Amino acid sequence: MATQFLQILNQRTMNFNKIFKIFSFLLPLWGLGGFYLFAHPMPNSIVLLNIHQDKIEGKIQLPLGELQSAIGLGVNDNTTNLVNRLGGTIKAYLLQHIHPISFDHKPWSVNIGDMNVVETANKVTGDYKELIVAFSMQPPQYADLRNFYFKYDVIVHQVVTHKILLSIKQDWQQGIVREDSATQNVGVIELDIPTGKIKPFQISLQAGGNWQGFKNMVSLGIGHIRGGTDHILFILTLLLPAMLLVEGKKWTKFIGTKNTLLNILKIITAFTIGHSLTLLLGSVQWINLPRKPIEVLIAITILVSAFHAFRPIYPKKETLIAGAFGLIHGLAFAETLTNLQLSTKQMALSILGFNVGIELMQLLIILLVFPILMQLHKTRYYPQIRQIGAIMMMLLALAWMIERIQDKPNFITELIA
Amino acid sequence: MKTLIYVFGLVILPFFFPNIQQKQTIATDCSKETGIAKVVCLAEAFKATLQEEQRASLQLGYSKNDAIKWSNLPEFRPTRVGLKMATLTADQRIAFKALMSAVLSTDSGDEGYGEIESAWAADDFFGEKTGKSDMFNSGMYFIAFLGKPSITGLWELQFGGHHFAFADTFDKGKIIGTTPSFRGAEPSIFEYKGKKYQPLEQEKLAFTNVLNELTEQEKKTAKISFTFRDILLGPNQDGKFPNEHQGIKVGGLTKKQQNLVIKAIELYVKDLDNETAKIFMKKYTDDLGNTFVAYSGSGNMNQVSDYIRIDGPNVWIEYSAQPSRDFPGKTHPHSVWRDRKSDYGGN
Repeated sequence: MATQFLQILNQRTMNFNKIFKIFSFLLPLWGLGGFYLFAHPMPNSIVLLNIHQDKIEGKIQLPLGELQSAIGLGVNDNTTNLVNRLGGTIKAYLLQHIHPISFDHKPWSVNIGDMNVVETANKVTGDYKELIVAFSMQPPQYADLRNFYFKYDVIVHQVVTHKILLSIKQDWQQGIVREDSATQNVGVIELDIPTGKIKPFQISLQAGGNWQGFKNMVSLGIGHIRGGTDHILFILTLLLPAMLLVEGKKWTKFIGTKNTLLNILKIITAFTIGHSLTLLLGSVQWINLPRKPIEVLIAITILVSAFHAFRPIYPKKETLIAGAFGLIHGLAFAETLTNLQLSTKQMALSILGFNVGIELMQLLIILLVFPILMQLHKTRYYPQIRQIGAIMMMLLALAWMIERIQDKPNFITELIA
Repeated sequence: MKTLIYVFGLVILPFFFPNIQQKQTIATDCSKETGIAKVVCLAEAFKATLQEEQRASLQLGYSKNDAIKWSNLPEFRPTRVGLKMATLTADQRIAFKALMSAVLSTDSGDEGYGEIESAWAADDFFGEKTGKSDMFNSGMYFIAFLGKPSITGLWELQFGGHHFAFADTFDKGKIIGTTPSFRGAEPSIFEYKGKKYQPLEQEKLAFTNVLNELTEQEKKTAKISFTFRDILLGPNQDGKFPNEHQGIKVGGLTKKQQNLVIKAIELYVKDLDNETAKIFMKKYTDDLGNTFVAYSGSGNMNQVSDYIRIDGPNVWIEYSAQPSRDFPGKTHPHSVWRDRKSDYGGN
């Protein structure tokens, strides 16, 4: 399949990328592989697009050495205060060279946003400085947002050896939404050497739809739990003592299978209600908390519930506490969705899909782990197993807490990473 | 019976002394052969020195798909096909040199076969200077036979690495293509192990001479207003020659100016063995009237983004001074010789 992908991209390069379509089977193939495909000793421009319902936003990465070759002004030689000194000039220049137009030749509106200079390290091209420019573009009324000509010739109008790699970072309808920074290459804008012209790049995004978007959010939810060791361990700490009775501040005898299952159902339901609520509130940005304290709080919830598994500290209040902890975990889930800038309908579907994914994965973990715990419980070593398990989780939770406060991994978190 | 044992003994004797057997193969005498037959003989002789595994890497079937696998980058990711030079023993290197010396000129210095050695030295030097010897070293070069060497069939002798690409294509005992042929140099002048190298300085000088001999008016005509940070027709840009020639027509220039253009072309074509060079020089000289010279940048060929192109009905030569990425402030030339009709033997 990888070769198939390469072939398709190669053909595109040869056919001068007139048309591209993204097929769903290509979706697992992300990342920088494409960069090497277009490998070139000179740094390329990169244009990243986020496809929203009514506009396209994006980021342009302009290597300053190449930009200086195109417009002069010493933009690479002297980058101190570059945006303050020359921001206006550069903005005017960019607007001259970015022209999306509809198939019936109506111009879109283009806006240039924030700019900043960064140092980029790359194995192929060495280190270089780049100007990162935020921009957005909007089709005229009734024009198709998903099919248009992208007339873009920043730098390449003058520096004919320059290449612009075009990638899509987010397209909800096609299910292109990821938590990491991976993008999908869609083509290259470059000089057509035989004619000496830069041809308009035709963008034709495959129509996806709500179902595609929803499905992707479900798998994103599954992936979120699967990839988050902390969430998995949290669920385990909830399960460890679920079959036991509290007597005199100690976990004692078995409460019976029926009661155990009921217990778990209550705890998990409360946790789900809690995280669904904050996921909803967080996603629509009614509450918006910075990431770091949330991550620290999550580590604390694991610490507390691990201690509870060791020795009960909130007997009979497990359901309530699970609900409260759910509220905290939901804030972290919301992080994933807040920056997508989706339409209300897309957001509603995303929250639902993401939640369904989380639920499915939680259920799977319970189905896998709980029968084992029940079997272990029948042995006379279960108190020790439960206690050792709880202590290990407390240690881990502490390690996470320290890691998240200090912003650097420690030996315990590195061990399980 | 005695005779039989003797004969048997003689037959199996070499198997006890594999080294002797190898030496005998190296000594394959190709000196009586000439032209392509000699190249084929030396190719077979080189192949005979190899181990089974090496031979499998070297000998591939002819395919355009493999023919286009050259690059102007080191082997950051697997790009090239063929046998890696790092695996060669001293004896195998002798056979390699004998083969390449039959298809390249042997004038020594920085041209012909000598240019391979300067490319190797450049990478070794670069690797040591920058601490990137894992990627930049003379062992990261590859030789491949695409198709079985013969005086009857189609085959290509392909050789290359970071800043070098060689591609002679043969068919029915004739040479039908000598391009794409790529050269690059970083740094452009350096001293390594007591020897001075300057792989592309001669070419640069020849181009400077061409431009200096033009009048101001002619230079204006020759100038392209666009900026080139590299050559246009590098790897993977096969068959993309511009539909129209740019620059100044050599046919309208004086004899002296024309001769300077020929001199520049010779620095590429005469890297090859005499016989082959003659064939291509004749073609390119015949074309000279309809050949164009175009340049961009300062015209001195020593600044970043200085660029020149010789573009005829057949010949296509580009030279570009791009910024050095590891030696700040210096330039680092890339140059390609292509042929509008006979790249990859026209395949």
